[in-house]
Parts: sequence; C-alpha cells; structure tokens
Amino acid sequence: MDPKKILIAVDASENSLRAVEYTGDMLGGSEGFHIGLLTIERFPDRDLFETEEVWKTECKKHQAAYLDFMAKARKILCDKGISEKQIFSRYIESCKSPLKSPPLICSMGTNIAHEIMGIIESEGFGTVVIGRRGVSKEVEFLFGSVSTKIVHYSKGCAVWIVN
Amino acid sequence: MSQDVRDLVKQYYPSFPIRHCGKIYRDTTEFMDISYGDVICVNGLHYMVLRDEVERRFGIEDPKFWVKRCKHLETGERKIIKLVFYEKFSLKLGEVKILCHRSPGKESRILDLVRGDMRFMQGVSYYDEKNNNVRVLDFIRGKSLDIVIHNIEEDHESYFRKYFPEILEKFIGACEAIGFMHSHGEKHGDIRRDHIWVESETHKYRWIDFDYSFDFYENPFALDLFGLGGILAFITGKGDCTVGYLLERGFTKEDLAGLTEDDFSIIFHHRLVNLRKIYPYIPEKLNNILLHFSRGTDVFYDTVDEILSDLRPCLDLLGS
Repeated sequence: MDPKKILIAVDASENSLRAVEYTGDMLGGSEGFHIGLLTIERFPDRDLFETEEVWKTECKKHQAAYLDFMAKARKILCDKGISEKQIFSRYIESCKSPLKSPPLICSMGTNIAHEIMGIIESEGFGTVVIGRRGVSKEVEFLFGSVSTKIVHYSKGCAVWIVN
Repeated sequence: MSQDVRDLVKQYYPSFPIRHCGKIYRDTTEFMDISYGDVICVNGLHYMVLRDEVERRFGIEDPKFWVKRCKHLETGERKIIKLVFYEKFSLKLGEVKILCHRSPGKESRILDLVRGDMRFMQGVSYYDEKNNNVRVLDFIRGKSLDIVIHNIEEDHESYFRKYFPEILEKFIGACEAIGFMHSHGEKHGDIRRDHIWVESETHKYRWIDFDYSFDFYENPFALDLFGLGGILAFITGKGDCTVGYLLERGFTKEDLAGLTEDDFSIIFHHRLVNLRKIYPYIPEKLNNILLHFSRGTDVFYDTVDEILSDLRPCLDLLGS
C-alpha cells in the first residue's frame, strides 16, 4: 500500500464535492502524490419505473451527472495546484445498466463500500477519501452508510472522512 | 348483464345467482370497475370475481381494489388475482420516510423465481389484451402469523417454553427463504408478521406479497432485515411489547422503571426489544440478536446469513 496513492470515492453529491475540495486543499502544490477519482455507477432500480423507456431516461440523467461531476472534480483539483498527470479517473459501470452491455468489471450495486475496498486492495491505494452525509442512526440503519462501512472494513490504508 | 357470463356460470358455477352476473373483462386497466359477478378472462381462462381483497390492520378494513378474490371457473379453485396498480407512497418508519412503489413486474419475477418452493405463495403471471400484468395466485388456507400467535392463550412464560421453540424453528426456515431471495438479487420489500401465512393443513410458514419496491442506497436488503428483526421481537415477546401492552399484562410501572431508550427499537421507539429485561428466561444469545435492532446498537446485520448464524444456535437453548 502506498499512502501517497490516494483514492477519492465520489458520487455526484455535495459530500463528495467536500471530499474533493479537502483533498485539493491538503495536497495542492505537493509532489509525489497520485490521486484516483473513483465513481461507481449506481442507477435507480428498474422496478421503480413503469416502462423501460422512462427508466433509461432516468439512468442517462444519472450517468450524465456522474460524468459531469468527475470532470468538475478534476478541474477543482487542478485549480488547487495538482497537476493533470497526477490525477486519474475510474468510472465503474453498473452491471445492471440498461444503456449498454456492461463490461467485464462492473458494479453489482449491492454493497458499494465492499467494491471500493476491492479497488483499494487490488490497486494498492494507501489512502481513501470519502465524504460523509452525516445521517442519524435510524437512517444509517435503514439506508446504510458507505463511509461507515469503509471505516469498519478498511485494513492497511488510511481513511479520510470529510464531514 | 352479459349473456357470456351467464353461459359460463351455467356451465361451471350453477349455484351462482344469475341476477349477479356481470361483464367479462379482457382489459383490466379500469380495475375499479371490476366487481362481484364480473369475470376476468386471461390466457383463455375465466375467473369469477367474488370480492375485493381487504387488508385488516388495527381493526380497520382497507379495501385493495386491484386485488380480487376469484373462483377459477374451469377448475372451481379459489384464486387471488392482482391487477396493475402503480402506486407510489411515502412509508413512515419511525422518523424515517421511505418512498415505496408497487411493482407488478417485480412480483411476477419473484413468482417465477420461487415456483414450486412452498415457502412462498405460488402463482403465475399473464397479460391481458392491453398487455396489463395479471397475477393469478393460489389461495392459501390459513391465518397470518400474528393471528396465530395472538390466538395462543397462555401467559408469556408458558408460551415461551411450550410453543416458542417450534415457532422459532419455523421462523428460521422463513428467514432462510428470504436469504434465498436475496441471493438471487431480489428483496421481499414488505416483511411483516401478517405477510407470513401459516397454512392450516401443513402449519408451514409461507411468505406472501412481493410487489413492494423501494430505492435504498447502500443497504438494499436492510428493510427486509429490519422486518425480520421486527417479527423476531414479536414472536419472542408474544406481541408488540410497548409499555402500554406490558402494563396491561400485569407489569407495574416499577417493573418497567429500569428500561432505557436504548432498550427500544431503533425505528419504532415505543417497542421494547431488549426483552430479557422483562422476561429473564429468554436466553442471552437470543436477546443479543434482538439488541441488533435496538436504539442502543452500533452493530447492524448486513445479511440474512448473519442473523441466521446467530439464530440457529438459539434453538438448542430453548425448551422446558
């Protein structure tokens, strides 16, 4: 594990934005760091929509939001003094995507935290950064919390939780 | 009045009063219009509507107009027919609001998945002439689990020692059934004690009603797990152990004075889950499972398997 190889796990949320900004503030102008921006695509459930078409339209909107966010995050990091060559992006598509056939490596979407941990371990990241929603215990119990799970499951890497 | 229905009634259901014969529906879009005496025709089969199903909760009957109790005219079998109703509503669980959807497609998919597995209700899906999903479900003779428990006229300790071991064993089987669903990427969606049907003849536990869906972020199965925890607390406590319920059953305010917020359900703050505090003969291992659903917990179950691996050893700790 290389502590200077840092993974920022983002979706298109405000919490993720805070995580990106914080990382930029901490590392801007520093040398020797590599930052991976990771987004795991997660679409709303097909069962929530009456027709395939309505679902696809919603999925396209989600995908556009994710990709826009990644471009924005990259720009924020660059603006804060991190060079382009230090940043690389990973976009993991959903295995259940209706937009195209999923690639060999895709997200099942049932446990995003485990999938993030898998990437950390397989690619040797030494630090993971994630924004936290700051939810009540009831909400965490029912809806889950990626950040809490990462704190529980992570081994051999530092975890930065940005509130 | 349709002559067609009269003809069918004469042939298959001669005891049905002719004056109540209605229309044949091959398009079920307007399900509110379909009522007693009408016949739903799908896949060349005919189902005489006897009444709308109702859900009974808190002594109130809530009609479900999209669910019809029917008689299959060709065979004489009783069937439940569920028609398409895309309902969206906000479900309030304690302080948490969840957006729920009713999904006929989900229920059809699960019916296909569990075909022949008698831990679940059985049925087939057809499509009417307007391509509306029509689920034809086998009627299960029996009672819901909450009624079965309610009808056991024993004090808690006698219930717990005499009846609970068998109930828990069957509940473990019901949990395994939900684990099977999850392993296939499906969630039940509405796990409640009245969605376990106890079949009269076999006393087997069978899950019903799979058409709820909801969007959860990181824990897609969490609501199902919470439902299982709620049922476990119900069968262990022989009811919802609210303070009011316990006072009615002879506990005094002094008896309950030692209860704290942390002893109650994480979602339903008025339901006690730390039951060993009032029923000390409940084994600690079993009580510890219940504590995973309490306000005091910081450790949540992520999977049915995790619950089961804690629950199965409890069976050996029970009995007189």
